[in-house]
Amino acid sequence: MSRLLKLQHIRKQFDEKVVLEDISLEIGTGEIVSLLGPSGSGKTTLLGIILGLTDMDQGKILFNGNDISRVPMNKRGFNIVFQDYALFPNLNAYDNIVYGLRNKKGISKEEVQETIDFLELGPHLKKRISELSGGQKQRVALARTLVTKPKILLLDEPLSALDGVIKESIKQRIQSIAREFKLTTIIVTHDPEEALTLSDKILIINQGQIAQYGTPQDIIQQPADAFVEQFIIRQLQIKRQNIYQLFGAAHA
Amino acid sequence: MHKVKPEMRVIFILIVLLFAVFLFIPLVVLLIRSLENDQGFTLTNYTDVWSRRDLTRSILNSVKVSALTAFITTVLGFILAYGIHCTNVYRPIKGAVRILVALPMLLPTITYGFAIMYSFGNQGLITRITGRNWFEIYGFNGLLLGYVIYTLPPAFLLIHNAFRYVDRKFIIVSRLMGDGTLRSFKNTVLRPLTGALGGALILSFILSFTDFGIPASVGGTYEVVAGQLYQVMLGSIPDFNQGAVVAIVMLIPAVFGIWLLQALEKLNFHVDKMADTPLPKHRIRDTSFGILSLLVVLGMLSIFAVMFIAPWMNGYPYDLTFTFKHVASVLESGDLTGVYKHSLWVALLTSFFGTLAAYAAALLNVRTNLRWRGITDTISMITNTVPGMVLGISYLLFLNGSSLKGTFTILMLCNIVHLFTTPYLMAKNALSRMNPSWETTGELLGDSWLRTVRRVVLPNSAATVVEMFGYFFVNAMVTISGIIFLVSAQTSVVASKIKELQHFAKFNEIFVLSMLIFATNLIIKVLCEVLQRRRAVRR
Repeated sequence: MSRLLKLQHIRKQFDEKVVLEDISLEIGTGEIVSLLGPSGSGKTTLLGIILGLTDMDQGKILFNGNDISRVPMNKRGFNIVFQDYALFPNLNAYDNIVYGLRNKKGISKEEVQETIDFLELGPHLKKRISELSGGQKQRVALARTLVTKPKILLLDEPLSALDGVIKESIKQRIQSIAREFKLTTIIVTHDPEEALTLSDKILIINQGQIAQYGTPQDIIQQPADAFVEQFIIRQLQIKRQNIYQLFGAAHA
Repeated sequence: MHKVKPEMRVIFILIVLLFAVFLFIPLVVLLIRSLENDQGFTLTNYTDVWSRRDLTRSILNSVKVSALTAFITTVLGFILAYGIHCTNVYRPIKGAVRILVALPMLLPTITYGFAIMYSFGNQGLITRITGRNWFEIYGFNGLLLGYVIYTLPPAFLLIHNAFRYVDRKFIIVSRLMGDGTLRSFKNTVLRPLTGALGGALILSFILSFTDFGIPASVGGTYEVVAGQLYQVMLGSIPDFNQGAVVAIVMLIPAVFGIWLLQALEKLNFHVDKMADTPLPKHRIRDTSFGILSLLVVLGMLSIFAVMFIAPWMNGYPYDLTFTFKHVASVLESGDLTGVYKHSLWVALLTSFFGTLAAYAAALLNVRTNLRWRGITDTISMITNTVPGMVLGISYLLFLNGSSLKGTFTILMLCNIVHLFTTPYLMAKNALSRMNPSWETTGELLGDSWLRTVRRVVLPNSAATVVEMFGYFFVNAMVTISGIIFLVSAQTSVVASKIKELQHFAKFNEIFVLSMLIFATNLIIKVLCEVLQRRRAVRR
């Protein structure tokens, strides 16, 4: 897999507090990468830096070998779905989806329709944002982003506001988007289970530094340090125990 | 948050410049003039004012009548708000009280005085109906009544809004825990409202202390600061330096009051979520509050009744036959309709540019990362503190020789600065509740910052913009304190014209013009309400 995005020695400080320190990683075309860490670990700041929303103090970002560190957000060609979707309530679902097309030439109606069909939004296009469920809002926000054909898709806690079954369906949807459109996708999450089941690679951040970067198997089989052990493995083990306790007898 | 864009800086600089030129510099000029005399800069003007018995007497009089007003208004405002929130008074009565109490806000305060004269004077409507002369209207009594009517609506609104801090569950819990009526009332109602009640007290005091319209009409020989200030500045021997001193004296309680208001704000409770708990039945409480509320509101409005009756009578109060002649003569008089058109023009200019300035300032403050954005909060605090008359005098001193003197532009600018705080806070409140990622999303979808504001932020705050526009319009129509020193014969507006008509005892004209202002403001209010509701339904 070719290396699409390279982060080199990223550093960020807010006032006296160092939020990110020496972050370097490479992400391949079409990969799904999760940025995983507890609250305040710096993962959202890193997402902001990749997007171009937040300036870094040191380091370099290379996209397809070109240095884009100083390229403004709107010129990078990346796009994001925010945790709260940031849908525009004065517009209906369809008008939200096509909002960016006024500024982006060369996207046909058929392509928009394909995205709408892919995300099964057809029956909801005329609805106001307040009439949509959480899952539908998520899909409208994804559609609005996808129709502009971003070079990298960034998702900020995409599943945190969703419950059970919807969560699973959106998870599958994100995976199929990445595969179908060969779209490099970077996800911020604080949930280890979500990261491990959704991503090709996971970057675990602890207090602004990389704790481990690898595939889910790498992380499960060879946790890099005590933090990864505690934060990932221990959490999953507790979850497994709880599930066994609940279902163990019935499934024995 | 969104990165700072050049257009944000440009708008910010324009706003800061606007207030630097039309707020800070005039106030500095005022301060300088208060210290200036033939010998240069000294405190002589201050000592002179202090030695003038009429001025010190007027200050004491103002303090006395304003303090009593504040007390009465706060008690009445509390009764009305309590009746709405903590009793089972018949719902339509609550609705009526809420709407009716705000009606005097649609009229200039100078009209209040004339309504009092025509209601309680020797031949007044209420005097004739009740068959007795209740009190001497000119002087302390008239001022007190006028100030109470003037300050009751804002004081009521303040207490009414603060009732959201009173969780009715606690009233029930307190009673279940065995508290007596008084203890329960103190802990569950009075305590959460302490800040608001103190606020209402101070607000009413400041409003009364700095109002010019009411003393101009019913002040009589009872001298108050506002009247003295007018006399010193525009009397037979104008003394601008002494006027500046009196203006500074007027500013002192306002500054102190606003500081106190902010301190009292800390006493307010903040409740995130409150259940709509039903109140226990209590027939005596409900009946007495229902009657009391209606009495207060109808009593207040009955004073204005004469304003709507007198102009339709041949020669009120002696000849009570119906006629169109007074109304027709006003409508046919080019002079008076011209004045009305001036008022309308100034109000429209004020609302348009005022809304623009307040909205832009709030937008920059709440939704950008501009380093100095906190300045707009400081501006809003200062505009809230400076009384209209003080602002008017500073403009008079600052712009005396300039081409802006005697123009509609200066009236508009004075109104915008004078009325800035409330619409600014309305916009801040609405904009801060909106999704903070819209501008970033808009930019990622190819829009500039201004375009996202136009396509997304503005449509989603349309209801607030309408409310801001309505606030500027209504207040620009009724205000007199600020503009009384700034109008010229060519820019005379209704509120200042009323002052002029008073000298010729043309009360029918005064009432017809007041009715016109009232009707215009009512139409604008209703229109704004309809527009706001339509937005709410669509959302």
